Amino acid sequence: MSTWHTLQERSFLESSARQRAIGLVDAGSFSELVGPLERFVSPHLPILGEAIEFDDGIVTGVGLLGKHPAIVISQEGRFIGGSVGEVGGAKMVGALKLALSIFESLQQGSAAEAEARRPIVLISFETGGVRLHEANAGLLAHAEVMDLLQDLRRKVPVVALIGSKIGCFGGMGFIAAATDVIVMSEFSRLGLTGPEVIEQEMGRNEFDASDRALVFRTTGGKHKFIMGDCNFLVGDTLADFRRQAQHVAQMSMIEIEGMRRIGSRGAVERQMKLVAFAADLRPRDSTDMWKALGNKEPQQLIAASEEEFQKIAVRWNA
Amino acid sequence: MERKLRITVGDKTREVTVQELGADGHPLPAAVAVAAIAAAPQRRPLDPKWSTIQRDTNERMSHMLPYLTRGSKVFQPADTVAVLNAVIRSGDRVNIEGNNQKQADFLSDCMCKLDPKQINHLHMVQSSVPLASHLKAFELGIAEKLDFAYAGPQGAAVAKAITLGKLKLGAIHTYLELFARYFIDLTPKVSLVCAYEADKDGNLYTGFNTEDTPLIVEATKFRGGIVIAQVNKIVDKVQRVDIPGEWVDAIVQSPKPFYLEPLFTRDPGLITDTHVLMAMMALKGIYAEYGINRLNHGIGFNTAAIELILPTYGEELGLKGKICQHFALNPHPTLIPAIESGWVQSIHSFGGELGMAEYCAARPDVFFVGPDGSMRSNRAFSQTAGHYAIDMFIGGTLQIDKYGNSSTATAGRVAGFGGAPNMGCDSHGRRHGTPAWLKCGEEFTDQQNLLGDVPRGKRLVVQMQETFQEKMASSFVERLDAWKLAEQAHLDLPPVMVYADDVTHILTEEGIAFLHRCKGLEQRMAAIRAVAGYTEIGLQAKPAETKSLRAAGLVKTPEDLGVDRRRANRSLLAAKNIRELVDWSGGLYDPPARFRNW
Repeated sequence: MSTWHTLQERSFLESSARQRAIGLVDAGSFSELVGPLERFVSPHLPILGEAIEFDDGIVTGVGLLGKHPAIVISQEGRFIGGSVGEVGGAKMVGALKLALSIFESLQQGSAAEAEARRPIVLISFETGGVRLHEANAGLLAHAEVMDLLQDLRRKVPVVALIGSKIGCFGGMGFIAAATDVIVMSEFSRLGLTGPEVIEQEMGRNEFDASDRALVFRTTGGKHKFIMGDCNFLVGDTLADFRRQAQHVAQMSMIEIEGMRRIGSRGAVERQMKLVAFAADLRPRDSTDMWKALGNKEPQQLIAASEEEFQKIAVRWNA
Repeated sequence: MERKLRITVGDKTREVTVQELGADGHPLPAAVAVAAIAAAPQRRPLDPKWSTIQRDTNERMSHMLPYLTRGSKVFQPADTVAVLNAVIRSGDRVNIEGNNQKQADFLSDCMCKLDPKQINHLHMVQSSVPLASHLKAFELGIAEKLDFAYAGPQGAAVAKAITLGKLKLGAIHTYLELFARYFIDLTPKVSLVCAYEADKDGNLYTGFNTEDTPLIVEATKFRGGIVIAQVNKIVDKVQRVDIPGEWVDAIVQSPKPFYLEPLFTRDPGLITDTHVLMAMMALKGIYAEYGINRLNHGIGFNTAAIELILPTYGEELGLKGKICQHFALNPHPTLIPAIESGWVQSIHSFGGELGMAEYCAARPDVFFVGPDGSMRSNRAFSQTAGHYAIDMFIGGTLQIDKYGNSSTATAGRVAGFGGAPNMGCDSHGRRHGTPAWLKCGEEFTDQQNLLGDVPRGKRLVVQMQETFQEKMASSFVERLDAWKLAEQAHLDLPPVMVYADDVTHILTEEGIAFLHRCKGLEQRMAAIRAVAGYTEIGLQAKPAETKSLRAAGLVKTPEDLGVDRRRANRSLLAAKNIRELVDWSGGLYDPPARFRNW
């Protein structure tokens, strides 16, 4: 296993769920909960003759970001596309409950201490959503997670970190949207219906899923950043994501609430304005939208490195 | 019947004698005959008895003439079907240019619009049939017989057309084999080719994607046939003359640029840790062991992984300058890091790879770049180089049988061979020595038994294959699916890509079997079983036997080779995604949209 220091400069895109979990928190601070040695495996997959994993494709645990306890949930795309089934879902739910209980126990002590040691939840998404082999249990887990996000709101910041190969789609796209802060790299993608499904349902003329450049400029980090669907665009190392998580950990809860894209009357009004803007524009491609928002040369944005992009990109601002 | 005429074509005036030209004995309309003769260089009048082919061609071209723009060889896209109708006759041998890369797709589409009642029984002789329109010509009854080398995505449609009796199969060839027959018994009467640029005189610029064009045009035109070209652009002066205008009879600017398939591009993002392990084994157990300096890599992630660990693991093993210096290879994007790190001295390419033109043009020390500054690929020459001048072919397959024969054919799909068998075989005409070739020959026990004390080398033919493939399909089988296919599609023999007697090494994640070092078929089969893992073949391996094969150096596991499995992961790849390949190339590589993750 690589050491924490070598992990820091590692590509987030290339990292496994466990490497991400270890590297996202401070050196040596990560402890895995319900790890592979516990062998909590899916009861459904063997019945269908499918292979299992001892961690069911999700790594959960706790670590530290400075003084802040960090509850980490990290999904592994290489196991059935990072899909969420009964066990993986329960691990997510358990981790979120743990965050809430840490928060509540800190409330018993001094207010200053509770503020200084406020926990933070880091979810490294790599998933297409519900695992179809165990869809009911998976859907239920989605609902429970959604519930817990409401319970954690204004108490414990929940940060979505999206920089892995599969991106974040399906039901988990909803979950990501309901978190407080979304951090992405340009190499990852966020959405509800995945490109292949859109093509299958609406036809190739509507969306050509084999055109990866199209897929990325429609669902990728750069587009999501311009549209305000993600709050921060970062580079592709574990250190880049960790630095951003540290930064969020230090923000006030009011600032963090301001990062939410949905969940308040004001946020809904902003979203509706964007919908109206898009409807009037009738864009044929995401680059039409970028142009309309004041990005004169969209092609330049596609080719730009993350740093250049940050300097020149004009974002949607309601 | 004979008359003298003064004619002017373009700015040339010439006095000619018009003779009786029609095949049926009737004189042709004067203007037509005149133009046909004027188009040809002045020469001694031909004896009609010995120029039937030319006279037939002249007669056909006379019907095409009204469509050509005055003073040029250009016709309009809207007249394409009429032009084809003018020059193609039922029963003709016709070539539509296309291989696994570029396609004369517009002309192919137009040929399907001919009236099958008038034009039918065509005998298609062409490198490949990967387009839907290639098969449509058979479904419509325009074409009847096919001699080809590669079907790729239309493999299932070819099998179906054969079963339905819509397609009579001549034979499935390798590229070189088919090219050879163009000059013996399968010469096309009409060839429909494609190019980037043409001028009004028909000079063609085929550039980076020259591929099969020179060969097709030469075979066709020098047997009095007709060559029609679709070009992306008609220009005043072509960038470089790849095909002289005299050899091209008519040109059309196609509505869309010709189709190009990026067949040799592999996204490093999809290379697995197992691919890396096998690549490490290949470098240490084969490349280093034999000092492989002249080679070809097949398509696939296995060889892409080898290319991408040259600057990392290869460097560490101190192999730079000792291996991989000369390739017969398409411009693989995954080779960019090795080229940039100074590993490669020369690469001659069969074809051009989409997005690589600018990079190749900017590396003339490595690629074959013309005086105009752009690369020229040439399939016939590169295949010849791959047959005679390389010491190793390494590539994947779909199925290997218990004897070591391998095939990419599956039931219901006539995929064809392409060029792999020209390299995946021992070239028996080879007479020059290199250390790798001689060492392999020295180890080839069975060959020595037939030669006495005369030394002879042997090409290394390496099959690199994981024991299981996608959807848990086994790579090692008792009997190849090719047998079933041969039965279904009424083939003369099962389509075998690489024959067992040519294979020297089989490399799986379990180990390397050194087949040529084995004595006889029984020992070869034991060595194959030893590396076949948990497949039906591998499960028949006997531990004691495998142990003795390892002791004799006939089978080597990663441990035997000193390959550290813990290091076998993607971090050894010099580029982990397409974006990093672009970075390595200094922005010169321009990947197709479907490969971009940005």
